Amino acid sequence: MPEITYREAIRDAMVIEMRRDNTVFLMGEDIGTYGGAFGVSAGMLDEFGPERILETPISELAIVGAATGAAMVGMKPIAEMMFMDFILLALEPLMNQAAKARYMFGGKATVPMVVRMAGGSGTGAAAQHSQSLENILMTIPGIKVVAPSNPHDAKGLLISAIRDPNPVCFIEHKLLYKVKGEVPEGEYTLPLGVAEVKREGTDLTVVTSGIMVNKTLTVAEKLASEGISVEVIDPRTLRPLDTDTINASVKKTGKLLVVHEATKIGGWAGEVFAAVCESDAFDYLDAPMRRLAGKDCPIPYNRLMEAAAVPQEVDIEAEIRAIVSNAY
Amino acid sequence: MPTPFIMPKMDMDQEVVTIIEWLKKEGEKITKGEPVVTVETDKITSDIEAPETGTLVGILYHENEEAPVTKVVAYILAEGESLSELPGSQENSQESLKPELAASAHASATTNLRATPVAEKMAASMNIDLAGVQTKGDRITKSDIEKFLAAPQTLPGGKVTATPAARRMSKENEIDLEGISGSGPRGRIQSIDVVNASTSFAQVSTPHTAPTPVKAANLVAGSSIPLVGKRKRIAERLTASYQNSPHIYLTVEVDMSRAEESRQRMNKLNEKTGKSSISVTAYLAKLVAWNLKRHPYLNASIVEDRIEFWEDVNLGIATAVSDGLVVPVIHQADQLGLAEINEQMRYLAKQARDGVLTREEVDGGTFTISNLGMFGIKSFTAIINPPQTGILAVGTTIRTPVVVDENDTIEVRPMMSMTLSVDHRIVDGAVAAQFLADLVRVIENPDMIIY
Repeated sequence: MPEITYREAIRDAMVIEMRRDNTVFLMGEDIGTYGGAFGVSAGMLDEFGPERILETPISELAIVGAATGAAMVGMKPIAEMMFMDFILLALEPLMNQAAKARYMFGGKATVPMVVRMAGGSGTGAAAQHSQSLENILMTIPGIKVVAPSNPHDAKGLLISAIRDPNPVCFIEHKLLYKVKGEVPEGEYTLPLGVAEVKREGTDLTVVTSGIMVNKTLTVAEKLASEGISVEVIDPRTLRPLDTDTINASVKKTGKLLVVHEATKIGGWAGEVFAAVCESDAFDYLDAPMRRLAGKDCPIPYNRLMEAAAVPQEVDIEAEIRAIVSNAY
Repeated sequence: MPTPFIMPKMDMDQEVVTIIEWLKKEGEKITKGEPVVTVETDKITSDIEAPETGTLVGILYHENEEAPVTKVVAYILAEGESLSELPGSQENSQESLKPELAASAHASATTNLRATPVAEKMAASMNIDLAGVQTKGDRITKSDIEKFLAAPQTLPGGKVTATPAARRMSKENEIDLEGISGSGPRGRIQSIDVVNASTSFAQVSTPHTAPTPVKAANLVAGSSIPLVGKRKRIAERLTASYQNSPHIYLTVEVDMSRAEESRQRMNKLNEKTGKSSISVTAYLAKLVAWNLKRHPYLNASIVEDRIEFWEDVNLGIATAVSDGLVVPVIHQADQLGLAEINEQMRYLAKQARDGVLTREEVDGGTFTISNLGMFGIKSFTAIINPPQTGILAVGTTIRTPVVVDENDTIEVRPMMSMTLSVDHRIVDGAVAAQFLADLVRVIENPDMIIY
C-alpha cells in the first residue's frame, strides 16, 4: 500500500469524488493557482478548471453562505476555511441556515456540504490562527463534526463526508498535513459516527482526537514496555459521538483520560464524561475521570509558550502515570 | 411535635437491625409509605417505609451501625416543626434520645468549632466537615486537617469512600465495604481491594460455589475479611442459641426402602406428566410436618416465662447460599400436600440462591430441617434456630447390611441417619425420643400418614 501524506490523502478524496460526481466542487480562498494555504488543492485547478476549483473573495460568510445555497439546489460543495478560526465569520450561514434547513423544510431540502478547515496550534501562527474550535461546532444540532487523525482515516472519512446529505465540518490539524501513512488507492469510505480503538489496552482508556491521537499512541507504546497497558480510542467523528465504544472500553479498564487540544472549560471531554456517567459504565469507574486539554487561554505566539498551552507527549505520559498509580 | 421514626420489630426474637443505607438523607423530604432506610436482620435485608410525610431529621444511627428495634432511630418534622420542640423530659415517650442528638439538635445555634483561617480554607476547598476533625489544641490547624486527610476517610453519614467500581463489586459479591482497607488515595477503596477481600471470602466460606475471582493473582496471603452484616448476624445468633438453649442430641437410623420406593414411584408418574421430581428433603418435610402435628412440644417456643405451642407447622429448610446460610420457611406445611411442599421448596431455594427472599418467606419458622445428605455426610448435629425448639439434621442414605428379623436375617437396606437437636428447657429426652420413634415409624411405613 502506498505511503502518502495527510494532505495528499485529502486531495485524493476530493479528486476521486469530483471525477465520480460532477456536482462536487471546491470553493475557498487561494485554492486555485496557489493550491491552498497548506497546499491541499495543489494541481486540482489544472484538472478541473476554475468553475469547479472556485476561487472566492476573502469572505467566509460568502463562502459558507454560497456553499449552503449551492447544496440546497443539488450541488455538493466543499468549502475550505483557510484557518478554522475564520469559521466564526460564517457561523450565521453554518449554524442558522445549513444546520437547520433540512429540519425546517421537513426533509425536502438537504445540505450536502462539507466545510473543510485547518485547525490547531503548533505553527507559530498566534491566537487568531491556531484555535481548536471543535467545542463550539459540536454544540450545533444538524451538523456533523469529523476530525481525522491520520491519512488513511482522512481519505475514507472525507469521501463519506462529501456523500453525506448533511453539512459536515471536517477538521484538519495543520501539523498532520505532512504526516505520512499507508493509504489504499482508489475509493473507500469510513462510516461517520464510528470510533476506532487505535490501540487495545487494559489499564486505562484514553479518548482523544486529531493530532493528540498520534501523541498518545507514542506515549502508549513507550509505557507498554513498562507493563502499563493503555487503550487509545479515536472517536474520528466528534458529533455524533460513538459513546458505545467509549463506554465499553471504560467498562473494561475502569479508568478514563480524555485528551484534547481544544480548551478545557466547556470542552468535549466533559461530554465524554457525561456519556460515561449516564451509562452503566459509571459503575465500572475505579478512579476519578481526568481530562488533559488546552489551557484556558489564547494560544501564545511565543513557540515555547505555544507548546505549553496544549498537551504534549510529556504531559500525556505524566497524566497516565498519575492515574494508573492511583494518584487521584 | 416531631414524629418519632421507630424501627419496627420484624422478628419475634429480634433486638437490633443493621442500618445498611439511609435511602433518604438528613433534611430530605419524605412521603408516607416510601422506603426511607434499608436495614438488615440476621435473615434478610428489607426497606423500612416512612410512617409519616415530612422532613427526615435527627438520624441517630448511621450506616453500618446497629439500631435497636422498637426504638426511635430518627424524627420526621411536619411543616414548621423543629427538633427543639422535643421535650426534655420523657413523659410521653419511652424512647430516650441518644446524647448526641440532644447535642446536635442545638449544635447549629451554639457551635463553637474553632479553626485557623488556613484550616478553614482547606476544609472549604476540600469539602471537609470541620466537626469531624480532631484537634489536640483549642483550634483546628492545618496539620489537623492533614492528619484527617491521611486517615481512611468516611464520608458524612458514615459512608466509606469507594470508587463506583468498588461499590458495584461489593454489591455483586455481597461484601460490606466497611472494614475493607482502601489502597487508593486517602484510603479510598478501589476495585482491587474488593477483589482481594472477595477472593479470601470465597475461599473461607463457600468452597463449592466460589465465584471465579476477577484477578485471582491478586490474592494477598493472610488477608482477612471483617465479620459484618449477615455473617455477623449468623455468628451472634448461633452463639446465643448454643449458649442459651441447652441442646441434647438423639440419633436414629431409618430404613428408607419404602420411602424411596414410594418416592420413586411418584417420580415416575411425575415424569410422565412432566411435573418436577420430588426431592428427598421434600418427602421428609411432609412426614416431619405430619409428625410435628402430633408432638406439640417440638413445635413450640419459649416466650419470656411461658411455653407457647404453635397452631401451624412452619418448616424452615436450611439452605446454603453463596455468602452463608438462609432458612426459608414453608408455612403451614402440615396442611400441604407433598407436591405443594416440593414446589414451594424449589421456589424458595431459587429465591434464596438469587438473594431475593422476602421477609415473609423467612419468617415464622417453628421447626427446621437441615439436610447435608447430598454432600455424603453420614450424620451431624445442628444448632437450634431460635426461638424454635428443635432441628433435624439429616444425613445421607447408605446401603448397609442390617438385621431385619428375629432370625438374624441380614439384608442390605438403604439406611439414613437423622440427628434431632432439641432445647432441653422445653423438650425432655423421652419426649424427643418418642418424636423420633414416631418419625422413624412413618418414614419406614409412609402409608401410616393416611392412618
